[in-house]
Amino acid sequence: MPSREGLDAVSVSFEVEALASLDSLYRTALRLTRVPADAEDLVQETYLKAFRAADQFEPGTNLRAWLFTILHNTARNRVRDRARDSVVIDSEAVERAAEVAAFPGATSSPAPETPESLLLRDTLAPELQAAINALPDAFRQAVWLRDVEEFSYAEIARMLDIPVGTVMSRISRGRHLLYEQLHHLRPVNA
Amino acid sequence: MPNCTFIDPLVTPYVDGELPAADRDLVAEHVRVCAPCHSRVAAEQAVRTLIHARKTAFTATCAPESLRAKCRGVARLKPSRDVDVNDVARRRPAGAGADPRVSGATAVTWRARLAPFALAASLVLVVGGAFVYQITDKSARVMAAELTADHVKCFAMNRVLDTHEGATAVESSMISGFGWQMHLPDEPARAGLELVGARPCLYGEGKIAHIMYRHQGRPVSLYMLPNASRSRELVEVLGHQAAIWCVGNRTFVLISREPKREVEQMASFVQASLR
Repeated sequence: MPSREGLDAVSVSFEVEALASLDSLYRTALRLTRVPADAEDLVQETYLKAFRAADQFEPGTNLRAWLFTILHNTARNRVRDRARDSVVIDSEAVERAAEVAAFPGATSSPAPETPESLLLRDTLAPELQAAINALPDAFRQAVWLRDVEEFSYAEIARMLDIPVGTVMSRISRGRHLLYEQLHHLRPVNA
Repeated sequence: MPNCTFIDPLVTPYVDGELPAADRDLVAEHVRVCAPCHSRVAAEQAVRTLIHARKTAFTATCAPESLRAKCRGVARLKPSRDVDVNDVARRRPAGAGADPRVSGATAVTWRARLAPFALAASLVLVVGGAFVYQITDKSARVMAAELTADHVKCFAMNRVLDTHEGATAVESSMISGFGWQMHLPDEPARAGLELVGARPCLYGEGKIAHIMYRHQGRPVSLYMLPNASRSRELVEVLGHQAAIWCVGNRTFVLISREPKREVEQMASFVQASLR
């Protein structure tokens, strides 16, 4: 049986590694709640649950992804508890609408220019932040977790409790909505 | 040659470089000859590249030092099991046994600490679905029940987080959070009250102020609901007393498990000395 000292050392390293994700958890919580005080509350509750359940963490798996899963589950439970599902419903409606629309921008304007270079040249960070913040919840979470936090599709699927296929389609639609939004911000002569 | 429907689910993993070589070649071949799919891939690729290029702007935001300190505090508590952790149970490895780190006494302590969470969850269930002003406008009892659930939850959290704030910190958070220039009662000890701290809580469609006290060690909550008017009332709900009164366009609710008479006295004291 391992000595108490040994166990404590493991525990300390778990804590240190867990707390190393604080900034990214807080940034993600801010994207979820949009209110700093609520984001702080959400992160505290996440750590509270994570440390309480430290023995449930499977060593060798991704601790950061595990913490993000707890964060998202906690956020979902809070929404449920407060019966404030309107935002979620709104996201689903947009998702259905996006399905029907089938990327109208892409088909109606097959741009001969390079979208990549134009967007890079013309879009500043604050515009991009505002556009991401304006995305419906479901798409914002998926794009954020993939493109900013760089999680795998499978990890995001576990966090959001949705199938991997849905993760990919939300990322795709989120990116296209961003493209549409930022594309329209570009100067006419660009 | 695959058609657009076949290509559709492969576009995002293609852009992310997650496709095996064979599929990648299929998509690349299709995109070369199909203008709509070419545009789709280009648009998605452009946004992905843009986010990656501007990523430092997103990651510049750091957690406040106060939050870091609180989370470290949570870590130091270090209880590890024997608790109902629904949010992480799904990842629990099969056959996980008892943790030798947790003594019986620690487990009991944590059960005791978590009991209020369970109660709060039950209260939320009881009053769930009524968290909108349109409904609560009609019933002081429903509002009192909802706030009582929040009162139990916040004190349960505080038992773990052990927040302690002085009057100045609470007053400044009321100004920054609610534009409420206020002065807490001087000498709360005269009414047997001790200040614990303040939290912004969500209620209906907005934020409300929650100032926490203890009365001879027992939890007392004072809520301030901006832009809400109610008639003066004392409501008994879920084993608690809720004293409701209104000043201008602000409604105040004082909640405690203390006897009715004590709650009335505390509410009178707060109403008279809160400026």
